[in-house]
Amino acid sequence: MASVTLDHITKAYGNEIAVEDMNLEVRDSEFLTLVGPSGCGKSTTMQTIAGLTQPTEGSVYIGDRDVTNKPPKDRGIAMVFQNIALFPHMDVYDNISFGLRLRKYDQEEIEKRVDRAAEIVQLEGMMDRMPSEMSGGQRQRVAIARAIVREPDVFLMDEPLANLDAELRIHMRTQLQRLHRELDTTIIYVTHDQAQAMTMSDRIAVINNGNLQQVDPPLTCYNTPDNLFVARFIGSPAMNFFHGEGAEDGFDSEYIQMEFDPDANDVDVGQDIVLGIRPEDVYLERNRSEATRPSNTITAKVDVLEPMGDEVFSYLVLGSDVEASAEGRGEGQLLLSLDPQTPVEEGQEIEVVFDQDNVHLFDSASEQAITHRIV
Amino acid sequence: MSESEPEHPDLAAQERSEEPDLDRGIVEAWAAKMISNPDRAYKASFYVATIFFLVTTLFPFYWLFMVAITPSNSIGDVGVLTPGGFNPEAFIDIFVGFGIPFHRYIFNSFLIATVSTVLVLFVASLAGYVFGRLRFRGKTPLLLIVLVVSFFPPAAFFIPLNRLFNQNFDVLRPLLADGSLFNTPFAIMIPVSALYLPLSIFILMTFYSQIPDGLEDAARVEGTTRLGALFRVIVPLSAPGVATAGVLTFITVYNEYFFSSLMTSGDPQKWAPMLEGILAFRGQYEVLFNLMAAASIVAVLPVAILVIVAQEKIVSGLTAGALKE
Repeated sequence: MASVTLDHITKAYGNEIAVEDMNLEVRDSEFLTLVGPSGCGKSTTMQTIAGLTQPTEGSVYIGDRDVTNKPPKDRGIAMVFQNIALFPHMDVYDNISFGLRLRKYDQEEIEKRVDRAAEIVQLEGMMDRMPSEMSGGQRQRVAIARAIVREPDVFLMDEPLANLDAELRIHMRTQLQRLHRELDTTIIYVTHDQAQAMTMSDRIAVINNGNLQQVDPPLTCYNTPDNLFVARFIGSPAMNFFHGEGAEDGFDSEYIQMEFDPDANDVDVGQDIVLGIRPEDVYLERNRSEATRPSNTITAKVDVLEPMGDEVFSYLVLGSDVEASAEGRGEGQLLLSLDPQTPVEEGQEIEVVFDQDNVHLFDSASEQAITHRIV
Repeated sequence: MSESEPEHPDLAAQERSEEPDLDRGIVEAWAAKMISNPDRAYKASFYVATIFFLVTTLFPFYWLFMVAITPSNSIGDVGVLTPGGFNPEAFIDIFVGFGIPFHRYIFNSFLIATVSTVLVLFVASLAGYVFGRLRFRGKTPLLLIVLVVSFFPPAAFFIPLNRLFNQNFDVLRPLLADGSLFNTPFAIMIPVSALYLPLSIFILMTFYSQIPDGLEDAARVEGTTRLGALFRVIVPLSAPGVATAGVLTFITVYNEYFFSSLMTSGDPQKWAPMLEGILAFRGQYEVLFNLMAAASIVAVLPVAILVIVAQEKIVSGLTAGALKE
């Protein structure tokens, strides 16, 4: 068990900078998830910690040890790979015991540890199967057993669930959480799926374009995103955004107006700002009492309804000239989630209010958050 | 096109399952049958080609065998398919008769070929790993240089090498009797290994480059060095490629004559190879064709056994199911 510290890590491939000046501290026995879109540098960060790639600048510490120039095998880490990477020419027992055999543990100790690891991931009785004879989930469990059998200081998991089907992925997600509780080891987890990041982690580190955006517990990232990127990336369905500017009486944009005191909210008159509101913080006018602090009323037309069973996603258009854009929501569109019993129809005009306690304001130029609650 | 327009007669002909009863010659009828059932044509041509190939490859061996069992004094009576007599003793005489220890020649060649193959596979594995799996500046030019080496005719190297190997080096004195490499197996192994290395590098490079990076990373995280990952994971998974490169190298070195004959004095105790052994049955006054034939057949056996064994080892599809991509 150990903490992991990245100290000013930069990794460049030629002129391409994959990770830029990253400082990150992973606490002892913490489950930290690196999350970000494809190609954001999260896997490079992981490989740097693993020692599979050398950082261009900066140092990596595991515990108090500077491991920047140590090969992967001497770092006290174990890794679970996205493509599982079991050795196809070895059976399950040989795969799991590979690392122990290389480290010349005695036979008895190896057997004891392999048995225990197999028990944890529920693989008893499959020791002489070959990887090609197993299902995806079983292979993934073998890979996890191979990682835990060495009792490493730090676990690295690089999208370990990405190749599993949806049902198995959710099952393995709970398994991993249980595993973390049982082993009480530091786990660094990489994923592009913010649902996995939200559900499993103690803290999540949101990365974009090789830069760290925010490192906080999942709900903190969800409720008080530091910047526009985090606000956009965390949460599904994503936050609604409106581009506008600060006015004498609050926020003014083409499609919506919001009344508040600009001075009290650190907004300058004329400043370009982005207003963000999550779908669950938008209420129908007649339910305005459910909002903690309802805003002024906004009129919109229902464009599309997506019944999900427990809720209905309603895509609204805020002006007659708004065209529904093919990919997601464009300017002038608003998504809210409604109770399935709500009597709404496509094409209907409805009135909605925002919960002012959950309205986020961001500065357009710097993309940094101004406030997460307008007063 | 209107409905009333008559269909093309060919279309109607295709609809009919049976050929119209025409009076045809035998060749024409056969051709028609083949056209209506092309699988038969493919099958027939497959057998024709295979039988042709087998006959051209195996007939020389058969004839060699016929010569071998013919007594040396009736060698002129060997027919196209029949021997000129029956004297299987030739297969014993090559080892014990005439004071020529043919087994020693075979042993020399076998040893030289084995050591060269191991050497080539080891060095080519390292080179194949680097060329196949790493990215570095100047990779392509370097690869071309390696390729160019294999284009040189061996004779171009012969004179400088021969002079070099006849040189006495004091540092080698503790290892070799007179400090020169001439008349030692090294004089053959070194040049032939170097000459046949590029082919193996190219074969292994292709195979090693196909092993997914994830497996190598996994091995390195689990506790191997890069080199360890190469020999514990990449090489075993490239077994078909390694076997191919190994068999090709072994056969080429085993059959090699140019360096083998010129780098030794032709004495079996001085590491003269198998081909020298066969030629040793060519005396000053008499050429023992039956013994040469018998020796040739015996000399082929190790290679034939090796290929059969290696063929069983060549299991492709070993990596199937290793990774979910």
